[in-house]
Formats: sequence, structure tokens, C-alpha cells
Amino acid sequence: MAIKNLSTLGLKCPQPILKVAILVPQMSPGDILEVVADCESFPKDIRAWAEKTGKTLLFCNTDETGKHTAQIQF
Amino acid sequence: MSKVAITVNGTEPKNIFPPFILGSSAVASGDELIIFFCPGGAPAMVKGVIEKIEGKGLPNLLELYEGVRNLGGKIYVCELALENKDLKKEDFRDGVEIIGATTFINEIKDATITFSF
Repeated sequence: MAIKNLSTLGLKCPQPILKVAILVPQMSPGDILEVVADCESFPKDIRAWAEKTGKTLLFCNTDETGKHTAQIQF
Repeated sequence: MSKVAITVNGTEPKNIFPPFILGSSAVASGDELIIFFCPGGAPAMVKGVIEKIEGKGLPNLLELYEGVRNLGGKIYVCELALENKDLKKEDFRDGVEIIGATTFINEIKDATITFSF
């Protein structure tokens, strides 16, 4: 099981989700992808994406600067 | 998963951003996507054009285009655009396919989500 990191800071919707989707073929079952984003809609979008694609969103937290950190398990 | 069909009939940012924003969201979520450029929108698919289209606070159009292609989205230009806009097949970007209306209509017969811009 590997943990990969993806920064999408500065990217606008839907680019963060697009970058996550493009990484999917590189992920194995059980792998975790940690994504950081500062796009306003990211928390709702990553939840919707995980729900639709059947991935597990472990958490999505937002710090005081508005930066979101999410972990998705494949 | 759904099949999403989008037609485009203009070359202004308001015509070009929505299909690639909604389309890339669709393919990123596993949906099948077909974007069909009518003659009015076809010039946007000429090589080098989307690189010049920008919008305040909007995502990078080229990255959305590449993302759509990378995730299997189909991008079609109506063959009527060739004569109508004095364009040749080789003028269009890599990945763009020239097809007729009948083929498009057949391919989207089971699309459940459609947009026109």
C-alpha cells in the first residue's frame, strides 16, 4: 500500500478533480492519495467524485487559510 | 455511469469554457463524453486557438482539453465546417475527428445528459 501526494494549489475547478482522475491508473487497490487544494468547491467536489467512482474519502479537512487536504483510498 | 453529449456552436469564451469544464468533470467521474463542434464552433478546434482563450478566474483551457482526451472523451467537428469555414482536416488539433451529423446522432442515441453552448 502506497501513499501518493498531489498538490493542486492555485488550480481552479475542475482541474483538481481532473488531476486526481488522471492519477487513477497509477493507483492500486488500498493505495492512498493525499490531495491539497485551495479551490473553493474542492471539498464538495471530491466527495461527489469519490461517491460516484466508488472510492473511499478518508477525510477532507480545511485549515484556517482555506487550504483543503483530502485523503482518498483506492 | 452516464453518457454526456455537448454541442458547441460559437467560438467565444462563453461557448468554449463550459463544454470543457463540464466535459472534463464528466470524464473525470467516469462518464462517457462526446463534444460535437458545429461549424459555428469549429474554428476553436483549429491548432493553436484554445491556447489563446483565457478568462479571469477560469481554469486553463488547454489542460482541460488534454484532460478530456486523456480520459477518453471524444471531440468531433462537423464535416460541414470544412467548406463552410474554409478549413482543412489537417488544420484541426490532434485528437479531433471530423464526422457527419448522422454519425453523431447515432453515437448519442443513449446519452442522458446533454448541453448546447
